[in-house]
Amino acid sequence: MRIGKLVVLATLVASTIAQGPPHNGPRPVHPGWYALQNATVIPEPGEELTRATIVMRHGRITSIENGVAAPKGATVIDCTGLTIYPGLIEPFFASDVPALDEDMTDKHWNAMVQPQRNALDGALVGEKERKELRALGFTVVAAAPSGGILKGSSTIILLDEPTDTDKARVLNPTAFPVASLQTNRGGYPNSEMGAIALLRQSLADGQWYTRCQSAVARDASLKANAPQASRVLAAISGQSAKPLWFDTTNELQSLRCLKVAKEFRRKAVIVGSGMEFRRLAAIANSGAPFIVPLQLPETPDVSTAAKADRVSLRQLQSWEQAPTNSKRLLDAGVTIAWTTTRLRKRSDFTARVRDAKEQGVTSAQALAAVTTTPAKLLGIDKDCGTIAVGKLANLVVVEGSLFGKERIVRDVWVGGRRHVVAKAKDVGLDGSWTLASGWPGDGSNGMPIVTIDGKKITCKLGDDEIKVGSSKRDSDSFTCQLKGKATKDHTFWLRLHRDKNGLTGVCTQSDGRAFVITATRAAKQDDSNKEDDDKEEKEETSKLAIEASLPTPLGGYGFAEMPSQRDFAIVGGTLWTGDGRGKLRSGAVYVRRGKIAFSGPSNDMPELPQGTVVVDAKGKHITAGIIDCHSHTGISRGVNESGQAVTSEVRIQDVVNPDDVNWYRQLAGGVTAVNQLHGSANVIGGQSNTVKVRWGVLNPEEMMLVGSAPGIKFALGENPRRVNRRSSANTRYPNTRMGVEGVLRDRFAAAEAYAQELAAYQKLSPRERAKVLPPRVDLELEALAEVLASRRRIHCHSYRQDEIFMLCGLANEYGIKIGTFQHVLEGYKVADAIKQSAIGASSFSDWWAYKFEVYDAIPDNGAILHEYGVNVSFNSDSSEHARRLNTEAGKAVKYGGVAEHEALHFVTRNPAIQLGIFAHTGSLTRGKDADIALWSSNPLRYAARCEATWVDGRMMFSLERDAELRKGIQTERQRLLQLALDKGGKGSGRTAKEGDPRDAYWAAEETHIDYCCRTAVGGR
Amino acid sequence: MIRFTTGVVLVLATAAPLTAQDLLAKAAPQTGPIILTNATIHTVSKGIVLGGTIWFDKGKIQAVLANGEEPKLPRGLPAPVRIDLGGKHVFPGMISPHTQLGLIEIGMVPQSVDTNELGEMSPEAIAMTAVNPDSAAIPVARANGVLAATVFPIGGLIPGRASIMQLDGWTNAEMAVRVNAGPVVTWPAARSRRFRPAPTPPTEDKGRHAEQRQQIDDAFTAAKAWSNARTVDTKVPLDIRHAALVPAIRGEVPVFVLANTVEQIESAIRWGVSRKLRIIIVGGHESRGCTALLSQHQVPVIIDGVHRLPRRDDVGYDEAFTLPHDLRKAGVKFCIGTGSDYSNDRNLPYHAATAAAYGLSEQEAFAAITKDTAEILGVGDRLGSLDVGKDATLFIADGHPFELTSKIEMAFIQGRKIDLRTKQSELAKKYRERYRQIRGK
Repeated sequence: MRIGKLVVLATLVASTIAQGPPHNGPRPVHPGWYALQNATVIPEPGEELTRATIVMRHGRITSIENGVAAPKGATVIDCTGLTIYPGLIEPFFASDVPALDEDMTDKHWNAMVQPQRNALDGALVGEKERKELRALGFTVVAAAPSGGILKGSSTIILLDEPTDTDKARVLNPTAFPVASLQTNRGGYPNSEMGAIALLRQSLADGQWYTRCQSAVARDASLKANAPQASRVLAAISGQSAKPLWFDTTNELQSLRCLKVAKEFRRKAVIVGSGMEFRRLAAIANSGAPFIVPLQLPETPDVSTAAKADRVSLRQLQSWEQAPTNSKRLLDAGVTIAWTTTRLRKRSDFTARVRDAKEQGVTSAQALAAVTTTPAKLLGIDKDCGTIAVGKLANLVVVEGSLFGKERIVRDVWVGGRRHVVAKAKDVGLDGSWTLASGWPGDGSNGMPIVTIDGKKITCKLGDDEIKVGSSKRDSDSFTCQLKGKATKDHTFWLRLHRDKNGLTGVCTQSDGRAFVITATRAAKQDDSNKEDDDKEEKEETSKLAIEASLPTPLGGYGFAEMPSQRDFAIVGGTLWTGDGRGKLRSGAVYVRRGKIAFSGPSNDMPELPQGTVVVDAKGKHITAGIIDCHSHTGISRGVNESGQAVTSEVRIQDVVNPDDVNWYRQLAGGVTAVNQLHGSANVIGGQSNTVKVRWGVLNPEEMMLVGSAPGIKFALGENPRRVNRRSSANTRYPNTRMGVEGVLRDRFAAAEAYAQELAAYQKLSPRERAKVLPPRVDLELEALAEVLASRRRIHCHSYRQDEIFMLCGLANEYGIKIGTFQHVLEGYKVADAIKQSAIGASSFSDWWAYKFEVYDAIPDNGAILHEYGVNVSFNSDSSEHARRLNTEAGKAVKYGGVAEHEALHFVTRNPAIQLGIFAHTGSLTRGKDADIALWSSNPLRYAARCEATWVDGRMMFSLERDAELRKGIQTERQRLLQLALDKGGKGSGRTAKEGDPRDAYWAAEETHIDYCCRTAVGGR
Repeated sequence: MIRFTTGVVLVLATAAPLTAQDLLAKAAPQTGPIILTNATIHTVSKGIVLGGTIWFDKGKIQAVLANGEEPKLPRGLPAPVRIDLGGKHVFPGMISPHTQLGLIEIGMVPQSVDTNELGEMSPEAIAMTAVNPDSAAIPVARANGVLAATVFPIGGLIPGRASIMQLDGWTNAEMAVRVNAGPVVTWPAARSRRFRPAPTPPTEDKGRHAEQRQQIDDAFTAAKAWSNARTVDTKVPLDIRHAALVPAIRGEVPVFVLANTVEQIESAIRWGVSRKLRIIIVGGHESRGCTALLSQHQVPVIIDGVHRLPRRDDVGYDEAFTLPHDLRKAGVKFCIGTGSDYSNDRNLPYHAATAAAYGLSEQEAFAAITKDTAEILGVGDRLGSLDVGKDATLFIADGHPFELTSKIEMAFIQGRKIDLRTKQSELAKKYRERYRQIRGK
């Protein structure tokens, strides 16, 4: 026997309680030595042993072999007809851990950062959940602390019951740091970008702490100025070699977390939402493993026509395609493990696995997703994940196949301890029994047959019915009275119980004589249930049942593939050059490889290579694509980080939402580039992001316009003063325009000092650097230092002349040029100051009167500034308005008489200059990106419709394609609505909650943000 | 170019100093006939007259004449003022059908917002009472050719009664075209106005909406009972709330029902039909889904803004732009508003213009902010088209008001020549002067 050779492996890591209380009485001894015999064993995905014997001792498997006898001394458990799988592993279980004590001194200033917490200190897995999980076959759980951004460490435990001495058997007490992008309503951060900023700063602080520690280790004299010991920073620093686990609520958030991890060169594991298929390429590209929840969306509510009308195609598609998520991820090469987390009913897990299998996930892949893969991700593959000698005895004993519909989980072995989930189905007595020896009645026509079916007992001899009376049964015995021909019309009392060979018992006649009697099973009827189960298994498919190549973004207007950059020319239209050549009556542009290769009079156009697509623009107008200098389109979960007065550390580029259908709608208005701005709720807002409207890109970052001038939002006046909030009085500095200036001055001074400190450090040689403490990276001041170094442009929300004048003065003092004044509705009063101190002014055409500080706004504002020589743009500040910026520009002609081609500059050329992208776009100039809009007539005229829009030479919108898409949407909606109707779609009556990962499918990143900064409080 | 040949110059020339419009005098009454010649006359009712002549006196249009026809002025009138328009355009004044113009001065300053009476039921509140004739927003709207507006109180189930105002007058009484244009009912919503993706609308609201609809119905029942009793017995005391609803119950004025969703519109029509009320749907965002009912019961719709985002991600980007055209095709009577946007009423023509770019003809779209509006509001006898006998409420422009580049050059309300300056135009002048001074240095 092999067992003798085995060295008993180290016992499990001791529990939290180092020493238990003394036993009250003699110590109990459990040999823990078992042999499971005659089972079919699936030791790992794709392998199978028949009639194997598994022996375990001291919690570990000591042998696994085919058809051998159990060792003497082991308790033998017969598993004939049963299948044994490796115990399942739950890689992510959100577990409550108490928050750190309020009064504790050594903690992070922000309660969202509690990396020193540990799941071990919390509730781990509750009794109910332990039972639920074991009933599904789980044996190991990684419990992760819930709540916060840096939440603390997870703990891997065996899914055991606690004992007197042990709260849990622990595999790894401090497994992985867990993080999320949770927000804090009413505090900081209250936006997703704020959460990212806080995460980023905290990780940077951890790095800094590490470097300071090693500097002190090198040179103890540095200790005096080193950061004092901090459990927070020590925890971040100590975890830095481990992969970060991110608990995410949707697929875009997953990608955002991966981006941060990459910045810090950290490996990451993502706990996803089940909606990964919507951004499959980007997710596959990241290479990160995903913990995939199997929660499926509810069938949409289509019970009334009006309700059905409200369900979007994207929602319907998400609903239909959600079961394909795992298959698509696997096919794309993503490592996935499954979790029961996010399931509204944990017991649905097996059914959801079957759903995934129906879509082509193989049995081996399914098993791997709950055993070997999570074991590897959790770093416990030496101990768990397969059935192998030396590993922990974590087993699931199943009647049927592990994920079969009729399967019954019988036993779950956790580290060698048996947990009975279900006893053998009570079929022992059921069936037909032929009475054999000892029958005292008439046996001349054969023997009576007793048939037991649950509580019903019948008896027959040949064709003769024997009356059965007063019958009673339990699991392995029964009694009854028999009377009929075969008993010669006497009553016999029969009592039988099960034994090894069948039934034995006594038959007593009414005269008191008793006979020992036996019975054997009559010829068996087929056992249909089980076979069905097996059949199901055999018909396994590895192909997607719902085959569909999904568009990006999912929904009605996505692209199956980004349009190509094929060469084309637009010929014969009125060309608005935007580059000083004015309007050309009959002009042409020729686009090669996404760039403008020619722009000028049609007659001067060079000969086009064969096969160049030519668009006839006779009677039409060709302009550079529209550029919106103030937009909040496509920003996920919070346009404002309003938790603090200064939030220059937050970055819009972290939360670009490429799925916002408003991008497509804006393409339909000729828009090709957009400045995504932070809201105006604080004096110094977040960093802005300039994008091309590259609808349909696979990775959100691809939207960014590389080469644009980095920007940042500032805000003056009522919004940062927070005077228009109706809910409560302002308690946060500043409360006046005087205080607004104070904040700016203070932060500029701090940023200047910060920049000097950094510069001084950078001047040092490596050797000198080793002798000093490294400076701390401060992301807030870093952005402001860039402003002071003229490497980041201020886009300043402003209304009144006094505040505009103030910022101009401050900029002059610091020798910097402001990027733009945004809104700048009283700009017409101080055009001279603006001209001197800013690159431009970006205004609305004619909004006014919505609050006190805009009472003096006038529609001539743009024209007056323009007359004075200020570079002026008109912007939207609204996803709706953005679609009509061409006619908004027309208002500059109406109010103030700006020349037509110059008015169009307000939404093309001028914003391009303001955003530092005029070298790339903003005019139809040779060498620039082919960002072009084609209009049915003069774009300043009301009747002008955008007929086509190109971005980088790709045709992103055309009226023809739009019409086609709408037809397709109609058909697809009809099909899916019918499908929902067939499934009785009534909804759940529940309202979807934004940010609840279980509603990822509904909350679907669908944001409709309008008039952000026009509102009185600067947005939500 | 517009040439004046004037008998009475003083009446027309604006001699006021350069001050904000709300500091300026209101227009003086018309004292003699005014004849506009060589005009492109957009009658709205009877097409366009090229090189025509229109003349008005005592605030009323006296004749619209084809090219070459001379007006026949009755004897005894003061010497007429003749204005040669040089081919420029004459249009009837545009009407903003749903606004808070005059009730709100600055949106975020509560002291200047006079729209919401306390409680759910305040039909006694009548908009005209609180319209501030000196609101700076009024000249701003007027300067772009919007010469009349229906002002609505807001808030609660029955916020009050709307008033139709012309945008000139020393007092709000002088401004009123119709003091009681009809009570306003906020039809309880099946969901919030702002779209929130959700599997189902909140169920708990169902009961509340039914209850609220009942409250509205009860108010009308009670008013009717009170009216019946008081007709028989004059000693029944006056109840101003009940009395406010009586003209609507008698069918003398319409009921403005604010409703946007299909459920709202359908149930509002059922209610209106059962009560034999003349209802007007105000909002109508989803009216495309109820055209059968709307046209069957001839319920008109005030489309609340054409510049709106689509209601759902996958509907066409132009869903709101094409709504007027679709209603026209389905035979539903409608007019177009700005979406109750008091400070942007001047942009009314651009909402209609977008409807014209997306399906309606230019004339149909312009009728939707003039003639159709006047008819739906019940003031078609006075406003909305250039017809003999109607108010001389019209404006002159160098192009179609739909064009962003067109300028409104002159306007008359009941024949009174309007000063088109505004607080904004004067601020523009004031600061252009600043730059003149700077450059002069």
